[in-house]
Amino acid sequence: MIAKELQEEVYNCIKCGICMNACPVYKQLHVEGAAPRGKVQLIKKIQEGKFDISEGFKNLLYTCLLCETCTVNCPSGVKIDRLFKAMRAEVLKKYKLPLLKRIMSTVLSSDQLLPFCMFWGRTLGNPLMALLPKNGKIGAISFSKLPKFNGKPLMDQYPEIISPSGKAQGRVIYFPGCANNFLFENVGNSTIKVLQRLGVEVVFPKDLKCCSLPIFLSGARQMALSNIKSNLSAFSRYDNVDAIIVDCATCGAAFKEEYVHILGEMGEDTKEAQKVKNKVMDISQYLAKFDLKKYLQPLKGRVTYHDPCHLVRSQKIKDEPRALLKQIPGLDFAEMVGADVCCGGGGTFQLDHPDISVSITKNKIQSIRNTGADTVASGCPGCRLQINGNLGNEKIRVVHPIELLAEAMGKV
Amino acid sequence: MIRPEVIQKFVSIVGKDRCKTSPEDLLTHSYDASILEFVPDAILFPVSTEEVSRIMVLASAENVFVTPRGSASGLGGECLAKKGGILLSFTQMNKILEINTENRYAIVEPGIVIADFQKAVEAVNLFYPPDPGSATVASIGGAVMMNAGGMRGIKYGVTRDYLLGMEIVLPSGEVMKTGTITAKDVTGYDLTRLICGSEGTLAIATKITVRLLPKPKARRTLLAIYDDIDDAGKTVAKIVEAGIIPATMELMDKTVIKAVEEAFHLGLPLDAAALLLIDVDGDDATIERQSPLIAEFCQGQGARNVRTSSSEEENVQLWAARRAAFGCIARLRPTCLIEDATVPVNQMVKAIKKVKEICERNNVQIAVLAHAGDGNLHPLMLCDQRDKEEMARVEKAMDEFVEYAMTIGGTLSGEHGIGVNKAKYLPQQLSATSLKIQRGIKNVFDPQGILNPGSFLEVSPK
Repeated sequence: MIAKELQEEVYNCIKCGICMNACPVYKQLHVEGAAPRGKVQLIKKIQEGKFDISEGFKNLLYTCLLCETCTVNCPSGVKIDRLFKAMRAEVLKKYKLPLLKRIMSTVLSSDQLLPFCMFWGRTLGNPLMALLPKNGKIGAISFSKLPKFNGKPLMDQYPEIISPSGKAQGRVIYFPGCANNFLFENVGNSTIKVLQRLGVEVVFPKDLKCCSLPIFLSGARQMALSNIKSNLSAFSRYDNVDAIIVDCATCGAAFKEEYVHILGEMGEDTKEAQKVKNKVMDISQYLAKFDLKKYLQPLKGRVTYHDPCHLVRSQKIKDEPRALLKQIPGLDFAEMVGADVCCGGGGTFQLDHPDISVSITKNKIQSIRNTGADTVASGCPGCRLQINGNLGNEKIRVVHPIELLAEAMGKV
Repeated sequence: MIRPEVIQKFVSIVGKDRCKTSPEDLLTHSYDASILEFVPDAILFPVSTEEVSRIMVLASAENVFVTPRGSASGLGGECLAKKGGILLSFTQMNKILEINTENRYAIVEPGIVIADFQKAVEAVNLFYPPDPGSATVASIGGAVMMNAGGMRGIKYGVTRDYLLGMEIVLPSGEVMKTGTITAKDVTGYDLTRLICGSEGTLAIATKITVRLLPKPKARRTLLAIYDDIDDAGKTVAKIVEAGIIPATMELMDKTVIKAVEEAFHLGLPLDAAALLLIDVDGDDATIERQSPLIAEFCQGQGARNVRTSSSEEENVQLWAARRAAFGCIARLRPTCLIEDATVPVNQMVKAIKKVKEICERNNVQIAVLAHAGDGNLHPLMLCDQRDKEEMARVEKAMDEFVEYAMTIGGTLSGEHGIGVNKAKYLPQQLSATSLKIQRGIKNVFDPQGILNPGSFLEVSPK
């Protein structure tokens, strides 16, 4: 069963229902089983031995974005997302992961398979992608909106130590995350370029693994363990660094929130994870201490910002990315209504529940459209895929805030 | 248990997707916001009056119990399938059918969440005042059946005061209209207001017509801090006596303040004994005139500090915190039973003292919240439902307090309803004649007794 202190959480749910109207999934389905309150009550019954983990319960538990909106809105302070995450691991003791997730988790957690798949992805996948039917979809994402694989993994494009321009003012470790390493190289390039320009030495370890969040949040904690440990030991190799910089909301959430909890609940040592937790910073947080104004050239257009769940709720980062965007001269910043509402992607949620996912994303797209922005910025590759994948023919660019910042810094 | 072939007939009305019988669905529809649990045999999700009517025709023919349910945020088991049978959930019948700005009314389906409806009418500069603490959860259908009150009661009244009419389905399946869309209507018995507050025992509402007001131009929130809860109570009585009518006057004691502060970090003073949260609304001139006057009253009665909110954003935060107070209390103990006895405003200070004394004597942990302007007390009894002995003490304290409230001219329930738990007290307030007439009314609407069985009239002592 799940950890003792989590078990007690279910008794603090007073069933007031405030989570229901906060839950993007409940608001689509309007069935109590989809509501956080409903799932918490089922977990209580399971704990008390009055109900068994069932196929139906499993389906409900995975009909959840893990967007954490319920947790931050729960007046009773029930750690709803922690309960669900731990319960997913319990469910997997009885049921297998669905095939697609099993393959994905195996690939992401393997030293050999990941580079192998990525190699074939760019050699065969990129050209073949053009042949996919235009109106086809994978999950909630249109084929025509799938990103191309990087020509070369980001990790292979840089040396281990990247020197800054001018005198070194600081030293950080950079963690690119799989998405930037293999798909969105411009995000990583932008982060590195900005840091260099600001006089920060960047350490880019070559043995970093997938942060494994998609693996352990699907419940497969054991499968994620070696990656977690390997990343922690890679980080611990370098002392004398100001911070570990992450430009992916999800990886940041993994290091700052999840690792300590997961290891603790698995009975593993959490000392290293705790150290890393205190060192990790989202790029927008790290840049807050710099005076950027003097480096920035004007850009054109209007930008709006979408809060990734893994930044705004998992890491409580809300103002820093906006501050970066607002500093760029010439760029008009427009806040959208419901910027912190989940985009509906939810990592692999959009693969499991494309219909629910798309109906949530529609509202987000409408919100973006209402601002009249030509660019939407968001620091999460999942949100980026989801939003971009559902924009249709709309001419709105989806980027990471750091990409705009790098553009405003001009060529180095 | 409902026979499988009968379930099949219900499926033929709403389709497979909207008839749920899986154990997970049954369990997640077995509770509301109280500690009661009753498992239904099936849950149906109708989306039209016609479906509801056909469901009731079938239920009558097969003698199947039917219990209507909104969002299940009630506090007394009113929307639970107390004797099994069908639970009729309106969560998917939740559209706004019309917002009429010329005649200032709206027609809605029962499942719409109150806050969502309020937002929609406010977007066109109209105002639906009834504002239960649970407005972000509760449905209008549920609010109508419970005649929900809430925080704006002192100035704006309760749900019943805004009802113009309804479309209802009787237990027999017959569809009937009550009321009109006009502001005045004295044609026949006022069935609209009879059904409102009937706790879902007489008929099922499928369309609800409500009266709307012009949206107040502005509002301001005052926060008065006290070192003595009596002074807060006296302030309320003084303001009411002086003929000033704020939009809301909410009282929280130190335990509630602590729980709310822990959840929301608003900078509420943890050493205060009580606070009053007072809203004034209207045009700018009214606000400018009323708010300093109210602040003076607060200070005159010993408020340590009176703060005026500086922005609408701060107002929203303060009220979100008040809304969540019931949930916040669960941070202190797992279970919270919420009392709802309501007393004349000038008796409130005495009543608060009394409930504290009763709880102390019975060794029950208590926090006090009140819609103070209405004398509507919400003593929160903190406990753990797993502890049988403690729960017995809580029940004893409740018994004593209800008895006391009766002696000073109070009522059993101001707004939460009688439901299952308070039914035993009914004869303390309602005479045998009154109960006889009420049972007679029930019998006219529902001769077979299939609608919401196990409700207050049946479980109260005969």
